[in-house]
Amino acid sequence: MGTRISVTVNGTVREADVEPRLLLVHFIREILGMTGTHIGCDTTNCGACTVLLDGRAVKSCTIFAVQADGRAVMTVEGLARDGQLHPLQEAFHQQHGLQCGFCTPGMMMAAYAFLQRTPNPTEEQIRWGISGNLCRCTGYVNIVAAIKDAAEKLRASPARAGGRG
Amino acid sequence: MIPASFEYFSPRTVPEAVNLLVRYGQEAKLLAGGHSLVPLMKLRLAAPRYVVDLNRIDGLSYIREADGFLRLGALTRHAEIETSELMRGRYPLLADAARVISDPLVRNMGTIGGSLAHADPAGDWGAAMLAAGAEIVATGPGGTRTIPVEEFFEGTFVTALRPDEILTEIRLPQAGRGQGGAYLKLERKVGDFAIAAVGVALALDGDGACRRVGIGLCNVGSTSLRAEKAARLLTGQKPDDATVARAAAAAAAECDPASDLRGPAEYKRDVVRVLTARAVRLAAQRARGGA
Amino acid sequence: MKVEGSYTFAAPRERIWALLNDPDVLARVTPGVKTLTPQGADAYKAKIELAVGPVKGAYDGTVRITDKTPPERMTLRVEGGGKPGTIRATGELRLEEQDGRTVVNYTGDAQITGLIAGIGHRLIGGVAKQMAGEFFKAVEKELRPR
Repeated sequence: MGTRISVTVNGTVREADVEPRLLLVHFIREILGMTGTHIGCDTTNCGACTVLLDGRAVKSCTIFAVQADGRAVMTVEGLARDGQLHPLQEAFHQQHGLQCGFCTPGMMMAAYAFLQRTPNPTEEQIRWGISGNLCRCTGYVNIVAAIKDAAEKLRASPARAGGRG
Repeated sequence: MIPASFEYFSPRTVPEAVNLLVRYGQEAKLLAGGHSLVPLMKLRLAAPRYVVDLNRIDGLSYIREADGFLRLGALTRHAEIETSELMRGRYPLLADAARVISDPLVRNMGTIGGSLAHADPAGDWGAAMLAAGAEIVATGPGGTRTIPVEEFFEGTFVTALRPDEILTEIRLPQAGRGQGGAYLKLERKVGDFAIAAVGVALALDGDGACRRVGIGLCNVGSTSLRAEKAARLLTGQKPDDATVARAAAAAAAECDPASDLRGPAEYKRDVVRVLTARAVRLAAQRARGGA
Repeated sequence: MKVEGSYTFAAPRERIWALLNDPDVLARVTPGVKTLTPQGADAYKAKIELAVGPVKGAYDGTVRITDKTPPERMTLRVEGGGKPGTIRATGELRLEEQDGRTVVNYTGDAQITGLIAGIGHRLIGGVAKQMAGEFFKAVEKELRPR
């Protein structure tokens, strides 16, 4: 029961025949082989699967791949450009915003979308912005610091803002 | 983790979608935001044979004031209502409610129409719309009809919608002067369902007395509930401390919470009492032009 | 999980007792029953399909009627399981006659395990009450001449 879909992923058109019940996260991980997007729960709670769909941060485990047909998806693999880390990735590295790293792709994608809307956020706004993403390691302190740092970097160098999405 | 197989349709118009419901009846489920349906499908608690995706239908997502009504298209995402200047300025009850639904990622997909049609007693829109006195517009093979929200929720996950009808619009009376509203929710953590939540809409007349009071209660019954006695106690009265306390106590008595992991029933009743009082005061403050 | 309530029928107690002990009636009035097959006296095998909105489940179970004191008391014992979970429930029904009407008081206790218990825990109480209501409304329909 194949449905042909065509999804622009990190700027590149990808096509495949998929069952309607194929989840977007499985399309990304298993059909496209892009395993940066993670699966952390079975109940749409954890946010480890966060990607951008037409620019909106969403939980890809709760969307069918067929819903992304003709649309644009950005994953964590789309953050770096020309071999250079995105300011978010730099900031998470420099501010030690991760320990095991499992939640990190989802955190960065949620933060990416959040900072586009709120480029100069307070700590409280950041915490609200990532409230759909769970972390079991860090206690969120350095994640918040990383996002704040990334916001400063982006304000200082707006040209570094876009990823490949 | 993996849903059962289904046949997928992605109609481009409402009549197309309605025809699919006519053809497949109870075997079909509508897909809007999908963040209530898909989690159930992933656990195979729901396994519809046909899924009708509404997301490619243009013209179902809008927030506008027209002809004396605020009209919300059924496919308007919670996030759009949360960030709308019009909502924040003129419909604070709705802006408050949108803000506390689940988490920001879910709010980017979830829709107000889908939420109301799903009719989870823990759904925030149910309580908010009961407070606001909204009307539900349903489109079926025979055309559209309007259902007052007080008649909409029939049971847990059961609404007055027929199997061949699609909820297409929600409307409420356009905001006027002297009106205020508030929605307050107590939850264990962000993204959780409410321990209890209360929505209040009211208007104050020139003397400061309440008129047209609506109070909606979330997750303290088998459906979204109206606190009718509480609302009547406030109507025609100034919302002074004693009156508000009486109304809050009435709201607590009118609900029917179940004891569960979110707390014992008596605790939830008291949360309703406290939140009703706070929401009434906040709504009144906003009606006077403050907050 | 406990469920309790009462329902009043405009009919004498003997009539309601007869309905509640008639397997054909029980098959018609119990929500979701697809088949109810007698297995000896006061025992039945049941196939039930329950739908609560989008959540649909199929269950295989047994129903036994015990502790009968006609026409005033009976206990229903239900055990069943399906993919969404398992249930063991006991419900005591007490029938009182008042001026030609019958008041049925029911108290029930249910243990539910599996997916519906975990995910649906918060809804079970309300749904149980809803189903009890459906059951008694359906019994009432049986009173009307066809």
